[in-house]
Amino acid sequence: MMDGEDLELFERSLRHATETHTGTALDAALDELGWHEAMAEDPRAAIATLFGLQGGANVTSSALDHVLVSALGLDGDAGIVLPDVGRWDPPGWIDGSDLHSSVLSVAGLATAGLAEQRHALVVSSIDEKVIALRVPVPSLVLRPIHGIDPSLGLLQVTAERLPVTAEAEVVPGDWDRAVALARLAVAHELVGASRRMLELAREHALERVQFGQPISSFQAIRHRLAETLVAIEMADAVLDAAWLDGSVTTAAMAKGVAGRQARTTIRHCQQVLAGIGFTTEHPLHLYIRRTLVLDGLLGTATTLTKALGDELISSRQLPPLLPL
Amino acid sequence: MSRAPGAPMDIDEFRVSLDAWLDDHQASLEPEYEGSGTLDQQMAQLAEVKQLTYDAGWMRHGWPERVGGFGGSSLMRAYLGEALASRDVVEPGLYSLTEVLAPTMIDYAAPELAATMVPALLRGDETWCQGFSEPGTGSNLGSLACRAVRSDDGWKVTGQKVWTSLAQYAQRCVLLTRTGTPESAHKGITALFVDMDSPGITVRPIVAMHGTDEFSEVFFDDVAVPFDRTLGQEGDGWAVAMDLLPYERSTSLWHRAAFLHRRLQQLVETAPAGALDPTALGEVTQLLYAFRARSRATQHRMANGEHLGPETSIDKVLLATTEQAVFDLVSQTLAAEVTIGDDPASERWRSEFLYSRAASIYGGSAEIQRNIIARRLLDLGSDR
Repeated sequence: MMDGEDLELFERSLRHATETHTGTALDAALDELGWHEAMAEDPRAAIATLFGLQGGANVTSSALDHVLVSALGLDGDAGIVLPDVGRWDPPGWIDGSDLHSSVLSVAGLATAGLAEQRHALVVSSIDEKVIALRVPVPSLVLRPIHGIDPSLGLLQVTAERLPVTAEAEVVPGDWDRAVALARLAVAHELVGASRRMLELAREHALERVQFGQPISSFQAIRHRLAETLVAIEMADAVLDAAWLDGSVTTAAMAKGVAGRQARTTIRHCQQVLAGIGFTTEHPLHLYIRRTLVLDGLLGTATTLTKALGDELISSRQLPPLLPL
Repeated sequence: MSRAPGAPMDIDEFRVSLDAWLDDHQASLEPEYEGSGTLDQQMAQLAEVKQLTYDAGWMRHGWPERVGGFGGSSLMRAYLGEALASRDVVEPGLYSLTEVLAPTMIDYAAPELAATMVPALLRGDETWCQGFSEPGTGSNLGSLACRAVRSDDGWKVTGQKVWTSLAQYAQRCVLLTRTGTPESAHKGITALFVDMDSPGITVRPIVAMHGTDEFSEVFFDDVAVPFDRTLGQEGDGWAVAMDLLPYERSTSLWHRAAFLHRRLQQLVETAPAGALDPTALGEVTQLLYAFRARSRATQHRMANGEHLGPETSIDKVLLATTEQAVFDLVSQTLAAEVTIGDDPASERWRSEFLYSRAASIYGGSAEIQRNIIARRLLDLGSDR
């Protein structure tokens, strides 16, 4: 576990990296400053710090791939196919009873770095089991996603009925646990982006003068910003609980709450930033775009919340509580 | 209890041994009434549970030795209230008044006074009340007018308080009075510790919407209060209030989270098939777990000796939001029970639903909390 000075130094170098690099350059910087080693040593500090900063700086990296791959206990250098927007089941599925005479179909997403890799890990369901296949990237169809957030550089990944030639790798880790860890990463990124949106709105409220006074003196503005801080702190609180109790259910709650609070943040901050916040001359729109896509990764706030409710209705039992 | 009462414990040991003791004593701790019971029944039950847990030592953990406690982490106090609320043996709002009033007494009363009085509160021998709000002083506490003037042998208090919880049961009152000029605002306030049987005090209970007279109006007509009952110095009243309010938003909220968890669990267990909306239930559960996680972090900060301040306003906003969301779900899911049920269980759901409407009003309204967050946490400057 990192603490005190180590953590401060780590945070400072990550802050510098995320403020100066994005995409593959940020991947290289993370490599250089030992983020991957930190992941092995102290996943909470590594994930919370990097993804919070990445969200705050509106930059991209392949770190989410590494979170999933390492949680599955697989080779840390490979790219991996992520589930499609709003989904969390494995992105590949295999038809056929015998693996060697069967076919693989894929529908998912990938971070931009996948195009540079030779192989992609496709986690796939076969009957009730989950396995990982190492698939040559050229055999997959990659479509750069423009969408609402072109600067994220996501790829859509598809393949239909590929003959399974490669040896399947048994996944040592548990898919649900890996998804849980990746959800925490995305939730931290959502919180980081939300905190930045709140800062932007706060600065504007203090500077913008109407009726002879800064609009920050108006209660309608103050309460929107206060409400935003409450929403963000709420997401951070569930994240804290999820790290402490290590449960898949709490991680899903953290992602759901982070997605919902980010939408609350967007609503209030865009209203406070008003006209300027509606232009591309102000950075707010970049955070709005990023946040909406991140809410969709590994389950949206809406789908995760309903899934939790369905589960509680069928079990008639609330999830266990983190003790004091 | 396998160990001598008073032996130092850590929180895990405390939890395990308290749970075992509560299991063994469940029968003697359980209330005899069904549903909510009357306020008289709830108060009698509270006194009994406090006495049993004090005599067995549990109630003394986490309180300083100079007021009859065993010392140790305040987390033990938080856990005791959580365990009692989640077993449904005390009404958490009544129980938690101890957590609001005792810490401030310990911080501000003369040491001998605190040493005499606090054990009586912990043991359930006494009930205390908090005389802050006035008819003309709701959110704007600094404008209070209940006047204390010096006489040769002590203060003379004249004025009126309102929303004073449990005043009709209370032996003592932590009272905020105006000792400066009316214009002195928060500088001219002094806190007094007043005996409620003093001549000149009249208590008029108010029946609230949820059916009980938990709150009262309290009238003071030339009430004599000795100088040694001053909390802090003359003019320290605002500091006393600012010291107390974060306590109002810490351990008592943790206890409330345990109560809300229990009631939501009961709703999930008993809801008729098809009555629960999964999305609404999922969202309420997320809120409850978020509120609890926030309150847990506050408990740990308090136990580590950190000063609690304006950040506890976030805890209070989360409590109000969560409590109202839980009981909104109750009123939608158990519509018949809440609206036309007359059995004890239905009456309880109804009373708790109605009481939840006050969560964004009492203890600093939702608007005041947002003002504090804007001013103190977001540093947005003055709102005038």
